[in-house]
Amino acid sequence: MSTSPTLPEGEEAVIRIRGLRNAFGEQVIHDKLDLDLKRGEILGVVGGSGTGKSVLMRSIIGLQTPEAGDIEVLSEKMVGREEDEAKNIRRRWGILFQQGALFSTLTVAENVEVPLREYFHLSPKLMDEIASYKIAMAGLPPDAGPKYPSELSGGMVKRAGLARALALDPELLFLDEPTAGLDPIAAQNFDELILSLRDKLDLTVFLITHDLDTLYAICDRVAVLADKKVVACGTIEQLLALDHPWIQEYFNGPRGRAAAAA
Amino acid sequence: MATRGYRKGDEHSSDGIYRCVGSLTIARAATTEREIDLMPDGMTIDLSGVERMDTVGAWLVYRAVRDRGAKVEGASREVEGLLEQVREADKPVRVIPEEEGSGFKRTVGELGEYVVDAGRVFHGLLGFFGAVLIGFWNVFKRPQQRFRLNAVVQRFDVVGVRALGIIGLMSFLIGVVIGQQGAVQLRQFGAEIYTINLIGRITVRELGTLMTAIMVAGRSGSAFAAQLGTMKLTEEIDAMRTIGVSPIEALVIPRMTAAVIMMPLLSFYAMIMTILGGGIYVWVDLGIPPLTFVQRLQEVTPLRDLWIGLIKAPVFGFIIALVGCFQGMLVEGDAEQVGMRTTAAVVQAIFLVIVIDAIFAVFFSSVGWI
Repeated sequence: MSTSPTLPEGEEAVIRIRGLRNAFGEQVIHDKLDLDLKRGEILGVVGGSGTGKSVLMRSIIGLQTPEAGDIEVLSEKMVGREEDEAKNIRRRWGILFQQGALFSTLTVAENVEVPLREYFHLSPKLMDEIASYKIAMAGLPPDAGPKYPSELSGGMVKRAGLARALALDPELLFLDEPTAGLDPIAAQNFDELILSLRDKLDLTVFLITHDLDTLYAICDRVAVLADKKVVACGTIEQLLALDHPWIQEYFNGPRGRAAAAA
Repeated sequence: MATRGYRKGDEHSSDGIYRCVGSLTIARAATTEREIDLMPDGMTIDLSGVERMDTVGAWLVYRAVRDRGAKVEGASREVEGLLEQVREADKPVRVIPEEEGSGFKRTVGELGEYVVDAGRVFHGLLGFFGAVLIGFWNVFKRPQQRFRLNAVVQRFDVVGVRALGIIGLMSFLIGVVIGQQGAVQLRQFGAEIYTINLIGRITVRELGTLMTAIMVAGRSGSAFAAQLGTMKLTEEIDAMRTIGVSPIEALVIPRMTAAVIMMPLLSFYAMIMTILGGGIYVWVDLGIPPLTFVQRLQEVTPLRDLWIGLIKAPVFGFIIALVGCFQGMLVEGDAEQVGMRTTAAVVQAIFLVIVIDAIFAVFFSSVGWI
């Protein structure tokens, strides 16, 4: 196996990015960025602050229009599409934003029902039941359902966001720093939750993280963003064999070694 | 891939078998639910033909098993796994907070809460007023260290200078409207000349200040509430406190000072613009030349009217800034609160301005300043 960010010809990629270029004014964030995501894997995306991890995710999900390049998600082109054209794709992915991005005027259960309401005409009873088991699957206690987002703790906001992301049984899950701001126990529980959900629900996961423990615990492959592109993508052992200075510093720093030992 | 669920036999038959073929997913959930509802209790659900199932499909099957005593046949390993998934996650969750009591009881309860709330807000406003006075006193005692000149000047610009355009335009148009309405009515008595009295006195005594106050409340009072509210949400105000900077001194007093000083200036400017608008109207419509207009204006509008108008202005400015900052400081929790508090700031400020204007009117007429 190589540490190339692209898969060999012919292998199926859930997300395929080629030659992506993003820039804000003079400042170039990504240039000639390539990346593939395999079906069923949990891909961790790491990189220093300002290397455009979130921008990469926003480009893939269509919130950010790239200057150049092609992005295919589930074999559909994402770049240059009108917002309503890509609606079919939106049904097949779930996104957990960094701050949860729950709708503050709706309860947690109503938040989970939003995507259901948008796409399907289900009976209210069935919708409430679906919201219930999604909330339970995301590891929230039943009394979280009727609460408003402002009444939730940080960890519960993430779980509620995850429940909403799972509402439509997505094939593809995007997570933007899911464990940031959680205490180590909550973070570990969240890692386990993601891992078990992936196994049970056949998810493919695109995971942005800073958390070395998360990388070691649940990621099948890790993509490293540096120098405006994905410099390498592979298992952590493969990455450790490279002599890229940032990768070495990241994984062989004191925190990296501590996480590896754990 | 089409999903086809069909019944074998009719719904009364005891050996009803519900066969699922193809994909049993959320896309077909509504139909599947209806079809399962039509089946008799104790039905058999045959899943051997299912090619794709998601958790919603699994939930429908699981629910039939749980509530209707259905039996499942022909489930593959994956399907079994999904059924197990939803069984584990079956914990009833309420969707919206529970509402207590009957409609009438709730209404009375809400009314009571509203009154208590209003009392609490008024109480809080008085407390805030006190805190602001103490803040002013502290600044007054040691102006060298405590007075934030830059902040105040910046507020002058935002509250005063940048409001000139909109307040000028508004006032000019109001002048035209007063002139036009006055002329139409007074013409019936052949007393068009009194239009000038109307324009002069109503503008200087009441409208100039009042309209300016309403505009400042909408422009700056709301901005104060939104700014302080956002700073409260992002914990900037907490950070300030922990560093030892008083938010009252750093944030509230510059805004209050700016509003108190800018209101009379803006009011005076508004009066001039209104008179200008009225003057141009009477020149065009009634043919009264500007010179005559000014002369007549001087004769009929006592200087006292100007004092009455200008005395009120700083008071209004104070109220607007006080309410705006107070509402901003009340923000807690989420972004929705910022909007709510901003609205409350404008509504309460305009309400209080009109109440105080009425008190002033009674006061001035009882001291004989008619």
